[in-house]
Amino acid sequence: MMAPLYDLPAGVLAIPVGFAFGVILERVGLGSARTITQQLVARDFTVITVMFSAIVTAMLGVFWADHLGWLDLSRVTLPSTDMVPQLIGALLFGAGFAIASLCPGTACVSAATGKGDGLVTIGGLFLGTLVTSLFWPQLGALAERAPHDNATLPVDLHLPVGIVVAAITILGVATLFMAGRLQGGRAPFRVSPLAAIALALGVLAAATGRATLASAATLRQIGAEIDSGSDHVDAIALAEWIRARKPHLRIVDVRDDLAADDYRIPGAEEVPLQRIAALSVRPSDTIVIYSDGGGHAAQAWLILRQRGVATAYVLRDGLEAWEDEIMAPRRPDSTDAVAVARFQYVRELASFFGGRPSNERAAPRRNGADSLAKTAPAPPKRRKAC
Amino acid sequence: MTTSARGRGYTDPIMGGVALGLLLFGAIMLAGRGLGASGAFASGAAAAVHTVAPKAAEAHPYLSAWIPTGRRGLVGEWIVLELLGVVAGAWLSARLAGRLHRGVETVAAEGKRGRLVQALIGGTLMGGGARLAHGCTSGLALTGGALLATGAWLFIPVAFGAAFLTAYLMRRVAA
Repeated sequence: MMAPLYDLPAGVLAIPVGFAFGVILERVGLGSARTITQQLVARDFTVITVMFSAIVTAMLGVFWADHLGWLDLSRVTLPSTDMVPQLIGALLFGAGFAIASLCPGTACVSAATGKGDGLVTIGGLFLGTLVTSLFWPQLGALAERAPHDNATLPVDLHLPVGIVVAAITILGVATLFMAGRLQGGRAPFRVSPLAAIALALGVLAAATGRATLASAATLRQIGAEIDSGSDHVDAIALAEWIRARKPHLRIVDVRDDLAADDYRIPGAEEVPLQRIAALSVRPSDTIVIYSDGGGHAAQAWLILRQRGVATAYVLRDGLEAWEDEIMAPRRPDSTDAVAVARFQYVRELASFFGGRPSNERAAPRRNGADSLAKTAPAPPKRRKAC
Repeated sequence: MTTSARGRGYTDPIMGGVALGLLLFGAIMLAGRGLGASGAFASGAAAAVHTVAPKAAEAHPYLSAWIPTGRRGLVGEWIVLELLGVVAGAWLSARLAGRLHRGVETVAAEGKRGRLVQALIGGTLMGGGARLAHGCTSGLALTGGALLATGAWLFIPVAFGAAFLTAYLMRRVAA
C-alpha cells in the first residue's frame, strides 16, 4: 500500500498528530513567550534550531520515501505559493510574531499551559483572521491573485531536486552548528551523529540525479487510475451530484472560444485547456471536467492529475453524453422492467435540468438553456488551509 | 549567555526538532498533509459568521470557502481537531513537567497589562498576515519548507527578518 493512507476518518489522525505536536512544542520550551523573545534578541536559539532540524528531518524523509516509491507525493497537500500577498503577509506576520512573542501554534500551547498572554494572542488571531476575511473583497488586487498550488523550489529554480535537498541539508546543518556555537554551553559533538546522518542522506540525494519530486510513484498511480476507469464519471452520476448539491463540486468546461449562448452544464466554470495548469484547486474539491466528446477533457485531467489533483474526473463521452442522457433521454426500445425503471428515474432527473425526455431520439440541444444555469450555482472555491 | 531561557528542564532543541520532523514526516505519510494552526482560525471565523448570518457567510467570497461542510461542523475539520490535540498535548506535557502555571508571562519590562496589549496586537497582525500569506509558521514555514514549496521559502526569511527587525525596533530587553 502506498502512502499517504487517506481512508482514515479525520479525527483518527488529526487528534494524535496534534497531541504529539503540542507535547513537542511544550517540551522544547516554545509554549513560553520568553523563549521566543530570547531568540529574537539572539540570546537563545531554540526557535531556529527546532525549525531547521524539523525541516531537514522531514524533508529528507519525504525525499527518500518518494524516491523509494513509498509515497505518492501528488496526493500530499502542498502549501500554496502566491508571491506578492505572501510577502506582505509574511511582513505582517513577522511583526506580529515579534510583538506577541508567540506564533499561532505556540499561542495555543501557551494558553493550554495556563498563560493569559497566550489566550489573548489567540483572541487577537481570531480577530485578525475575522477582519481580514470579512474585508477580503476590499483588499482588491491583493486578494485576486491566483495562488500556484504546485510551485516548488526545484521547478522554480530550474535545479534538480536532489541538489536542492542537498543544499538545504548543508545550509540547515550549518545553521544548527552556528546556533549551537552562539548558544554556548552545548557541546557540538553531542549532535554530530545526527548531523552526519543528515549530511549523508542530503548528499546522497544529490547523487540520485532526480530531476523533480513525485515522478515514478505518481505516474504509476496515474496509469492504474486510467486502467481501472476510476478517472471517469458518467452523465447520470454527475447529474445526481449537481442535484444533491454535492459539497465542493466544481464542473470545469475546457472548450475553447465558447459563445455566450452556447450550452453549458449548470454551474460550470470555463477554463480553456491552456489555463488548466494554473487552476486553483483545494484538496476538498471534486472536479468534473468536460469537453464536447471527452478528448480535451482527458488531456486536462492528465494535467491536473500530474499537478497532484487526485479528485478530478472526466465526464464520460463529454457534453454529447450529457445531452443524450440528461437533456434528451430516450424511452428504451425494450419493455424490460429494469430499463423502464431506469428511464423513469432519468426522466425525473432530466426534468430537474429542464431536459425533454421523449419516445423519439431528440435532436441534441446546444443553445437556449440559459435559464438552467441558475438551478445549480457553482460551489465556491476553497482556499488551501494552513 | 546566562540569561538564556534554557535550563528549566526543556528538551534539547535538536532532539525536539528531529522529533518534530519525524512527526511531520509521519503526518505526510499517513494523512497526506502536514501540520498547521492558522487554518483553524479561518475555519473558526467562517463558522462564527455562518452561525450569526448564514446567508451572508455563504455569499461571502472569502468566508464561504472556509465554512465547515461536514456533518459534524467545525469539529469535523482536520485542522480544528489537530489544534484541539495540540492543546491537550501541551497541557498534559506541562502538567507532567510541573510547568502548569496560571498567570501572564511577561517577556521584558512591559508589565502585565502591556504584555496583554502586545499579545492582542501581535495576534491580530499574525491573524491577518497568515490569511494573506496562505499560512503560518506551522502550515507554511514548517510543512511547506519540508515539501520544498516555493512560498514557504519566501515566507521563512521574510517573516523571520521582519520579526528580528521588529524585536530590534522595540528595543526589547529580556526579562
